[in-house]
Amino acid sequence: MAIETSNECMTVAHAQYLLQNGVDCRGVSDDPPQFQAGDRVRTKVMHPITYTRLPRYVRGKMGTIAKVNGVYVFPDTMGQRLATKPQYVYNVRFAAQELWGPDASPRDCLYIDLFDDHLDAT
Amino acid sequence: MAHTHRPESEIALRVKAIESLLVEKGIVDPTTLDTIIEAYEHQIGPHNGARIVAKAWVDAAYKQRLLADGTSAIAELGLTGFSSEHMVVVENTPQVHNLIVCTLCSCYPWAILGLPPTWYKSFAYRARAVIEPRKVLQEFGLVIPDEVEIRVWDSNADLRYLVLPERPQGTEGLSEAALAGLVTRNAMIGTVKVQPPEQPSTLAA
Amino acid sequence: MNGPHDMGGMHGMGPIPIEPDEPVFHSEWEAKVFAMSFATFCNFFPVDETRHASERMPPGDYLSSAYYERWLYALELLITEHNLVTPAEIEQRIAELAQGE
Repeated sequence: MAIETSNECMTVAHAQYLLQNGVDCRGVSDDPPQFQAGDRVRTKVMHPITYTRLPRYVRGKMGTIAKVNGVYVFPDTMGQRLATKPQYVYNVRFAAQELWGPDASPRDCLYIDLFDDHLDAT
Repeated sequence: MAHTHRPESEIALRVKAIESLLVEKGIVDPTTLDTIIEAYEHQIGPHNGARIVAKAWVDAAYKQRLLADGTSAIAELGLTGFSSEHMVVVENTPQVHNLIVCTLCSCYPWAILGLPPTWYKSFAYRARAVIEPRKVLQEFGLVIPDEVEIRVWDSNADLRYLVLPERPQGTEGLSEAALAGLVTRNAMIGTVKVQPPEQPSTLAA
Repeated sequence: MNGPHDMGGMHGMGPIPIEPDEPVFHSEWEAKVFAMSFATFCNFFPVDETRHASERMPPGDYLSSAYYERWLYALELLITEHNLVTPAEIEQRIAELAQGE
């Protein structure tokens, strides 16, 4: 299911609408979220040659679900016009030392929004 | 700032050529382009975010709604818009300091803060904010004590982040509008604190 | 893709370039590149497709170009890949405009 676009010239009215309302990126899923706040997760180790919003510095790391953000369309497939592939997005917390080793501050954390397809249960 | 590696005049000519072709073929409308540029140059900007922050400072119930569901609370003020559709607001406190970045590109809450400044889009900020946030903050003149937790938010998906800075001391008598006047763009990204009226920060642009 | 855009944690990028009182756009071409990109968002290209297009810039070029140069690269890549404009048309129009100046 490739993503089709209207290929219409954007009118002033449409631009004004977009400026004021933006684009709703939420999607719908019949499934419950795989993870809940507090769950420990590990990010996948993957190196797709195509588009992904899973940065290298968090791949293969242990984190904790901070919040379930809801269902959104999946950028990794949208970027290639393949499919909307809606799925849950979770805000995931990583200790700075998990990402950067003992030189990082023991207090500091990184929060990042990751999709079902980026995460494994531990 | 990152300088272009080709002469500016060469780029400008290329852009002109592409624009004339896209207009000729009916792919873009010049009036639409003007509308977009006018909106970001003159209408949308950090004053939107400053209104949100000032309201949260004076209205405890609003602050609670803002932190619980940023998107709805910001929509109450009519401040929705492109690249700010799904908003999360994070609160700075004496114990926690928040900092926003987008390492993969430069995602930013356009409708709330306008288009991002050069430093936010720079390779230096994108690369360093996640690995050495304390050193980055020092370059903005902000020293965060070791006992304060720094939370870095990498806005890599469709959610956009806004920092609710701490209200400065000595502003108890100020109106909401006067408070909004103190709130700077950088304070809402988390690279500076909001200063009381008598001590403007040199890097608070 | 493991491109230069995925730069979280990279070293050697230097100090943060803090520019006081910076304008929204530094030149007319920056404003036009932004506006043409915005005007083709959604209707022609999903926003993630434009992000991916800028990531496909060759790494050496990516790391030596300014923000809106990368947007220009993405716009040009997408309009030509989707056959809205051909590379030859762009070069020809550049030559025509250069002669007129």
